[in-house]
Amino acid sequence: MMTRREWIAAISAAPLLRAADAAPVAPVSIAKCASYDEDVTARLGLLFDQLGGLGSLVRGKTVTVKINMTGAPSIRLQGLAPAVTHYVHPKVVGGLAYHLGQAGARRIRFVESAWATSGPLEETMLDSGWNVRALQSAAAGVEFENTNALGKSKTYARFQVPGDAYMYPAYDLNRAFEDTDVFVSLAKLKNHATCGVTLSLKNCFGSLPASIYGDNAGVDEPNENPTAGRNAVGHQGRRQPSKSAPQELHFGANHDPGYRVPHIVADISASRPIHLAVIEGVESIAGGEGPWIQGVRTVKPGVLLAGLNPVCTDAVAAAVMGYNPRAARGAAPFQTCDNTLLLAEGHGVGAADLGRIDVRGVSIAQALYRYDS
Amino acid sequence: MRGERWLCVLVCLALSGLARSQSAVPPRWSKPADWVPARWPWPDAASLDLVAAGPLNCLLLRPVTADFAAAAASRGLATLAVVVPSDDVLATVRRALSAKVTGIALEGDFPEDLAAAVRQLARAAPVVELAPRSRMLANSAGPVLATYQGVWPGMAETERLRAGPSGSVWIDTNTGFIRAARSWCDLPLWIANRPPAKTVVTTGRYLQAIADAGVSGARWVVALDDDFAARLARRDPKALADWSRMLSLAGYFERHPEWREMREYGKLALVQDPAKGGLLSGGILDMIAVKQTPVRPIPRQRLTPGSLKDASMAVNLDAASLTPEEQAVLHDFTRSGGTLLTGPPGWTDQAPAGDAITLDRSELERLNDIWREVNSMVGRRNLGVRLFNAASMLSNFLISSDGRTAVLNLVNYSDYPVENVSVHFLGDYKHAALLTPDGVDKPLELYKTDDGWGADIDKVNVCATVRLEQ
Repeated sequence: MMTRREWIAAISAAPLLRAADAAPVAPVSIAKCASYDEDVTARLGLLFDQLGGLGSLVRGKTVTVKINMTGAPSIRLQGLAPAVTHYVHPKVVGGLAYHLGQAGARRIRFVESAWATSGPLEETMLDSGWNVRALQSAAAGVEFENTNALGKSKTYARFQVPGDAYMYPAYDLNRAFEDTDVFVSLAKLKNHATCGVTLSLKNCFGSLPASIYGDNAGVDEPNENPTAGRNAVGHQGRRQPSKSAPQELHFGANHDPGYRVPHIVADISASRPIHLAVIEGVESIAGGEGPWIQGVRTVKPGVLLAGLNPVCTDAVAAAVMGYNPRAARGAAPFQTCDNTLLLAEGHGVGAADLGRIDVRGVSIAQALYRYDS
Repeated sequence: MRGERWLCVLVCLALSGLARSQSAVPPRWSKPADWVPARWPWPDAASLDLVAAGPLNCLLLRPVTADFAAAAASRGLATLAVVVPSDDVLATVRRALSAKVTGIALEGDFPEDLAAAVRQLARAAPVVELAPRSRMLANSAGPVLATYQGVWPGMAETERLRAGPSGSVWIDTNTGFIRAARSWCDLPLWIANRPPAKTVVTTGRYLQAIADAGVSGARWVVALDDDFAARLARRDPKALADWSRMLSLAGYFERHPEWREMREYGKLALVQDPAKGGLLSGGILDMIAVKQTPVRPIPRQRLTPGSLKDASMAVNLDAASLTPEEQAVLHDFTRSGGTLLTGPPGWTDQAPAGDAITLDRSELERLNDIWREVNSMVGRRNLGVRLFNAASMLSNFLISSDGRTAVLNLVNYSDYPVENVSVHFLGDYKHAALLTPDGVDKPLELYKTDDGWGADIDKVNVCATVRLEQ
């Protein structure tokens, strides 16, 4: 078995699918946080300080944070709270709100397309055992929006994919993604059965409203009361989204979820840029994105990551998980799927080349927690 | 844990003989309604030490010996001889009465003339009929309404194994049936189902069985699997500790007889003939309960304007069987602004077929037509109380006759404690407290919500209660 040092050297030098030199890079910060009982807010502060602080990014701005609450809150792994398995933890959410507030954010809007409902996001949070009142008091101007449908808006916002889109020319999303100055992806450090890893890029697949992209989306117009996931449209390509939204470019050409979902995620990352990626890996799961995936197990990587470029951040996060972020299809963790990071890199979103990324704080070798071990 | 520890001490004292009285003690009950029953698997008088402390005061025996009946009586315990249809019934009853048991328990499907002969033979001795559900409502002249048929409460195995992110949880429960039966009859209600055969039954599942009946005002007739009974008989310390927890939980409901006097509260009413679908488990009442929506069953025969007081929605499951007077009550309800949902044309509520107490797949699919409509009508409305982070729980919301006190009883059917439960109430309550079987009685902070008041509960093991006062 390779040592940590050898492994880092090997993946940094990997010639396979070398990044385009033009793809932007930004620093990525790593901090250790062994437990939610630690001062998570202080650890996040350290993480952001290592990036130069959040003030220049968010002062006086509206900040929208896409959190990860995948699946119904009633589905639990071994009866554990979702926050210690497959959801981001509310302490991290609250800590992020605190720091955004301290940095001068005018409004902090947490968003997620809550599973199979268009009800208030606060109710999904309560159903997950979160203390919504505590989150609201973490900073001034905290609000919530369930982006699974129109929510508090009257129309959807359209996000064009710049250049050559992979799957759809544009995506219709809840206006919260448009009416913001800064967009943050707050993700969990975990695997994904379809995409290999769920990090800040894949987290944004959950931006798609099920009202348009859901299994029971309306054919012509959105269904504002969605009650299902996005398998038929997103994963399998068995149907088009509501006709009110841009349609799939090559509908029927490919039904492989391992191809489709990474390409859609890359499209979304190009059309709705992520300004700050935060990845929570204090406690998590390995082997899949949720308890419904057979064989998932709990893990305690004890790590937090943040970066100003989502591809760079995900590349470092993948390396922390013990993977080569530039691995091609067929190699772990992309055994049955395309590499989302490289697809996003192809869109010019950022570089997945560890050799070009300035890692600050704890090193990758020190933070390494092999998900496949 | 305080109450539980104290009970454990009492059980240990009893087992060590320190608390054993040498002389007869007065009965630990004054009327059959006070009986807290258990099937007693041991024939030796020493086993009675196990109930020296705790609420159990009525032992169901099979077979019966005069010595044991006398020993039980000397400790103030009631004894019921269990007689089954395959017995030489009248001879067995005569022998039991001569052994001086307190009463008779007829368990099974007895012809009415034979049951009447037993009652006549028993004279003043109470006869409890542990009947099939389909027949139990006919026994409302007896001392107790009882059935031997029940589902074994807990998370449904299919749900435990289900894969997929949708994750609606199904809970096997008798609560819907119990509530339907209690809406029909004021008698104490016993549910005397046994643990599943050839299955390892954990303490948690026993506690769930006790709580499943208790939260709805009934009593589960405690029945132990062979393994647990054997371990308890040899005073295995772990078994004794588990037994103490069971007694503590049963005692929790006995310490609050006022809960049995309170009425169910909810702005959703379910009009149903209790002799039909109400006798089933897994029917519409349980479906609504799993959605954490408070619903009160109203027997159609008791449908009056007063019975619909405070309701804003009603579901009429069996429109075709309503009398003109009953139809008029519902008509007035809708004219005064209430929302009424009826089944599709030709839809009828079905009674159990044979010994079945749950719905088969085709019946469930048929019920789904109604369920979808109910679900759509209720939506996310707060119809009295809404629970969050409570997917593995069921609740029962009760209110006092003067409306000033309400209690929300909660049962957790998972194998793990549930943490961070939020409860949103309608109504203007000033004080809230959390009560648990282990003696906790602590104030809860109330906070304003969009439609009333909210309270947060840190943790629910198997059972907890929120008491609200105006």
